[in-house]
Amino acid sequence: MKILVIEDDKTAGPYIAGGLREEGHSVDLLTQGQEGLVQAMAGTYDILIVDRMLPGIDGVSLVKTLRGAKNRVPILFLTALGGVDDRIEGLDAGADDYLVKPFVFGELRARIAALCRRPQLAEAPTSLRAHDLELDRLSRKVTRSGKPIDLLPREFALLEHLLRRKGRVQTRTMLLEAVWDIHFDPLTNIVETHISRLRGKVDKDYDVQLIETVRGAGYRIVEE
Amino acid sequence: MISRLTAPQMRSTPLRLTGLLIVIFTVSSLVTFGVAYLFLRNTLDTVLEEQLHQSMVSYTSIADSNDLRERLLADTKSIDPSVMIITFEPASGPTISNVTAFPPIAGLAIVQDADIIPGQRELSDSYLAISSQVAGGRLVVAHSRGQIIEMGEVFATVFLIGLLPTLLIASTVGLLAARRARDRVEAIRTTLLDLTHGTLTSRVPNVADVPDDLEQIGLAVNRMATAQAKSVASLKQVSDDIAHDLKTPIQRVAIQLGRLQDRNDLDAEQAEIVQNAVVETEGIVRTFQSLLQIAQIESGRVKERFVPVDIRQLSENLVEAFTPTAEESDHTITFASDRNDAMFVQGDRQLLSQVLVNLIENGLRHVPSGGTIAVRLSQSTNHFELVVSDDGPGVPSAERKKVLRRLYRLERSRTSEGNGLGLSLVAAICELHDATLTLEDAMPGLIVRIVFPINA
Repeated sequence: MKILVIEDDKTAGPYIAGGLREEGHSVDLLTQGQEGLVQAMAGTYDILIVDRMLPGIDGVSLVKTLRGAKNRVPILFLTALGGVDDRIEGLDAGADDYLVKPFVFGELRARIAALCRRPQLAEAPTSLRAHDLELDRLSRKVTRSGKPIDLLPREFALLEHLLRRKGRVQTRTMLLEAVWDIHFDPLTNIVETHISRLRGKVDKDYDVQLIETVRGAGYRIVEE
Repeated sequence: MISRLTAPQMRSTPLRLTGLLIVIFTVSSLVTFGVAYLFLRNTLDTVLEEQLHQSMVSYTSIADSNDLRERLLADTKSIDPSVMIITFEPASGPTISNVTAFPPIAGLAIVQDADIIPGQRELSDSYLAISSQVAGGRLVVAHSRGQIIEMGEVFATVFLIGLLPTLLIASTVGLLAARRARDRVEAIRTTLLDLTHGTLTSRVPNVADVPDDLEQIGLAVNRMATAQAKSVASLKQVSDDIAHDLKTPIQRVAIQLGRLQDRNDLDAEQAEIVQNAVVETEGIVRTFQSLLQIAQIESGRVKERFVPVDIRQLSENLVEAFTPTAEESDHTITFASDRNDAMFVQGDRQLLSQVLVNLIENGLRHVPSGGTIAVRLSQSTNHFELVVSDDGPGVPSAERKKVLRRLYRLERSRTSEGNGLGLSLVAAICELHDATLTLEDAMPGLIVRIVFPINA
């Protein structure tokens, strides 16, 4: 993928760019809002990673200008601010996702992957499968090897979310936001306990473990 | 116009003063008119009585009864009964009169036309009459009181065409002016209310710099609001700058730690040290985030984005989210509501979630294993009540106010997790939502009671 990173911090910028290059992406790194905007308008990028506070044009104005010019490239906002106001302000400006500093690389990687595949999610089939696990979104029934599995509403939502993104890592925060609509960081690891419950019901009695923990990043349903 | 003054309008000072002024003006005008009328009528009555006596004397002074008779016959023919009525009932013979019949009276009396049977000519409305024994008969002379009645009519006319229009114009203009003044006062009041509720963009509309007290107050309010908005904005700028300047190095530390964690050549001890450093960094971020969050909440700007939030569904979902965690630490967490449908509170969903999450986590942290945390919702006429109670050690009454302060923690909880911002964040969020927060003793345990107003 072709990625444009606009980040003025001397450590974070190269870290992000370097990490993404290691994964095989082609990355341009810029430190000024002004030149970032010009580059974003001119180039054809698959995704933009924009810091909120930039010298020259700040991140919010940059995103607003791009969206005003009908540029629909997925934008991930990075910010040192993580208040209630800031998140909504960033999304209102036209950013697609929002990541509060400090973050671990795994989180960034997972969010980039999510943003780039977003359009395909629209036509999800009624029946989701992974190996011998089947989830019917209409009848809300889950079976593994034909045996019915009884799930609580939130466990169902969690499994559905993971199945729809089969093979892609979902971080703890991504799951908190998507399944529980919690956009802040609770002390308690709600996701971990729910995942372990879900594993107890879905994976415990089977040889193939479908829910995989990705170290330092999150969880995913293994691809066959 | 008075009946249109409803109760809230009567609370407006300008309107009340105008009303009072109109009442005083009306009463004093009526009194002046009344006194003048009574005085004039009294004078006219005296003059009329004088004339009546003179007329009577002009007859009684005729000594000869035949002369009197002839004079009476002549007068009754020539005198218009609408000006003067003469009736003589002699000892014998027919009555001499210019009317058909006049009621008997003794001495001086006022006689209305209804009591008189007229002759061929018309009568006046009212008469002042006097009777006297003359030449063996009884003579009644009556003078029309038309003048006095006319005077009354003139007074009424003067009153109607003079005072009433004045009164109407005065009331209308007065009330319009008062209403304008009231609207100005109301505009200033709403603006002040908005400002105190955190809508710092609110201004008194259409103020002109003219030498008028209300306009000047409006201007002063607007200037104050601008100054306040400016200081809030600069405070926000400062905290944004601090956030940026502090978080950037924290981000760098996190990046370095991340690199270390990604290495496979660390031994168990080294890995643990790195892991501890990561946890500590997260703690710093969390404390920092909470402080920023409180500052942002207290600026009140979030309020502009408030929407109806179903607090019942939100509570139930969060209790469900925490159930597995609670079970793992051998706690029971329960949810109860006296309503099964939506309970809407005007607010911010994330902040309201944060209140519940903080209270539940607080319970899980402080209540010993085996304990219970109960979340209950109830509704009364004009508020929703959210109660989170536990059967843990509780908070001593002397400490209850202090735990809402920033960074304050009970001695015994210093060793446990958390940064002492949980409850002060809850307090700030409650205040932003116009909700009252109280801590009570559950004997044993803590009751946190939050009362939300129901928005119409």
